[in-house]
Amino acid sequence: MSSHYEAPIRKPLVLGDKSYHDVTVDVARPVEGRANKQWWIVFSIALVAFLWGVGCVAYTVSTGIGTWGSNKTVGWAWDITNFVWWVGIGHAGTLISAVLLLFRQKWRMAINRSAEAMTIFSVCQAGMFPVFHMGRPWLAFWVLPMPNQFGSLWVNFNSPLLWDVFAISTYLSVSLVFWWTGLLPDFAMLRDRAISPFTKRVYSILSFGWSGRAKDWQRFEEVSLVLAGLATPLVLSVHTIVSFDFATSVIPGWHTTILPPYFVAGAIFSGFAMVNTLLIIMRKVSGLEDYITIQHIELMNIIVMITGSIVGVAYITELVIAWYSGVEYEQYAFLNRATGPYWWSYWLMMTCNVISPQVMWFKKIRTSIMASFIISLVVNVGMWFERFVIIVTSLHRDYLPSSWTMFSPTFVDAGFYIGTIGFFFVLFLLYARSFPVIAQAEVKTILKSSGDNFKRARENGNHSHNH
Amino acid sequence: MKTLYKFVALAGVSALTTSCFNKENPNYQLFPNMYESVAYETYSESKAFPNGKEGQLPAKGSIPRGFEPYEYENTPEGLAAAKANLNSPLTEVTPEDLEEGKKLFGIYCAICHGDSGDGKGNLVKKEKFLGVPSYLDREITPGSVFHVITYGMNSMGSHKNQLTQHERWLVTEYVMKLKSEL
Repeated sequence: MSSHYEAPIRKPLVLGDKSYHDVTVDVARPVEGRANKQWWIVFSIALVAFLWGVGCVAYTVSTGIGTWGSNKTVGWAWDITNFVWWVGIGHAGTLISAVLLLFRQKWRMAINRSAEAMTIFSVCQAGMFPVFHMGRPWLAFWVLPMPNQFGSLWVNFNSPLLWDVFAISTYLSVSLVFWWTGLLPDFAMLRDRAISPFTKRVYSILSFGWSGRAKDWQRFEEVSLVLAGLATPLVLSVHTIVSFDFATSVIPGWHTTILPPYFVAGAIFSGFAMVNTLLIIMRKVSGLEDYITIQHIELMNIIVMITGSIVGVAYITELVIAWYSGVEYEQYAFLNRATGPYWWSYWLMMTCNVISPQVMWFKKIRTSIMASFIISLVVNVGMWFERFVIIVTSLHRDYLPSSWTMFSPTFVDAGFYIGTIGFFFVLFLLYARSFPVIAQAEVKTILKSSGDNFKRARENGNHSHNH
Repeated sequence: MKTLYKFVALAGVSALTTSCFNKENPNYQLFPNMYESVAYETYSESKAFPNGKEGQLPAKGSIPRGFEPYEYENTPEGLAAAKANLNSPLTEVTPEDLEEGKKLFGIYCAICHGDSGDGKGNLVKKEKFLGVPSYLDREITPGSVFHVITYGMNSMGSHKNQLTQHERWLVTEYVMKLKSEL
């Protein structure tokens, strides 16, 4: 029949007999409609949390970081825990849009826009912690190697904290450009559909005059591919650099060569869990169940399962190496994690990260929306505790027993964290109402190969042809 | 034309941001975190003391480590006694000592006494004041020179604030050398 060959084993990615126009209408609906009561309620909650966080940060900056629970032994606690957690969450977005593009995964098209938005918003949250955990954040500009009047005093390029500056800022800017490039055709679609002069004007500015000519599309594809090729090593290196904050130190429990890949795996693990959480809600409230199908959720669950298993292997590797090393400090660090005063956080982490993703081996669970939602939340709790365990349990008991201490957070620690969660959702909720949350231009490229109506037609065609 | 506007705007912004500095006053500071001393700085003013000065006098009669009180009194009898009895504690005067003495003499003494000790210093030559005798005209011993540097005499003020005991002996040795050369 047709010249197109696609294995019949592949399930449709777009359901509901969609045409090109249906895709446009479905994607534009949340943007063109008005926010309902629930949106305003959730937005208000997020805004209040955000403002509370702003208050806590203002209190910290004006009073001092002694308002936090960190102490002389445990200098890093919730601040860096949350930083690494947010950076980790951000990684799934780039992974979905870049790595899955390189692997030609068509199913990424319905989820990449929101995943990238999640990346950008969570990197914004992450970026606040390195600044506000500083004792003197108003001098933060000194981390940049700028010519100056101190005899051109420069930074020391040997510190992974400086590499963090470069990594995070590059990561944010590249992600932003990648995201925005992909948005151009979709903004143009909203521009062309706009009724009110105001929205017309807004989307005209946002879409940069995209007119969708053949040459534009050709270059668009090339740019996307190049950026995907750049973003992939970036996504691996950024979390690697974040892991260097610990791996390059001399602290038992931190000084491990496994940290870079293990952190990256953990980042993908937690990031996909977060994408899953958000998209399960979004597909429902924005009426996008035909695009973000149960198959998408299942595939994300499979990635969560795989990366969760990698993380599990890393945990076991660390334990084995600690035993094998014969270094009593290293052995004690892991003994302390398992049986010390923070045993509960270690076992919570182990349960959430190692056991919970393993249930995804059951098809019944990984294709259940409710189970995926719960497990993805559990994974994010577990991954928060992973960073907490690595940071705090390694610091609070290390070489000198006279320096052993405990850590307990204050309300300011918690308030800052809650504030970033609030800010994240403020941004994400605004995004969900003003941006095309599905890359409609991309979905339209797979509609005829992966739309259920077209697949059905092809199967019927083949059927009649064979007989 | 657009480039021109940009340059004008840039010049305007730079003028705006740099024009607020008044040379009569100290400049603006960005977060002066450790610019002002928390500790008492020497010569600073402080409300902690009745006379408002950081430099307070030590208790009378106290002797700091490494210091010997000068026992001759600031009287004609003290001078006579010093002239007769006081000897230099420098057992051996090296050329370096004399060189050091010369430097100190050049700084503290030569302005009035003259480089050669003939009483023809710059201030005398310019007739700012007169009556500085030549070392040749006076009968001086190392003890009397030390005494006079310490307490001053007639128009000459005390120099014990400027010169330590050791430095005064170095200057004394140099003065005796100058006298021998006059």
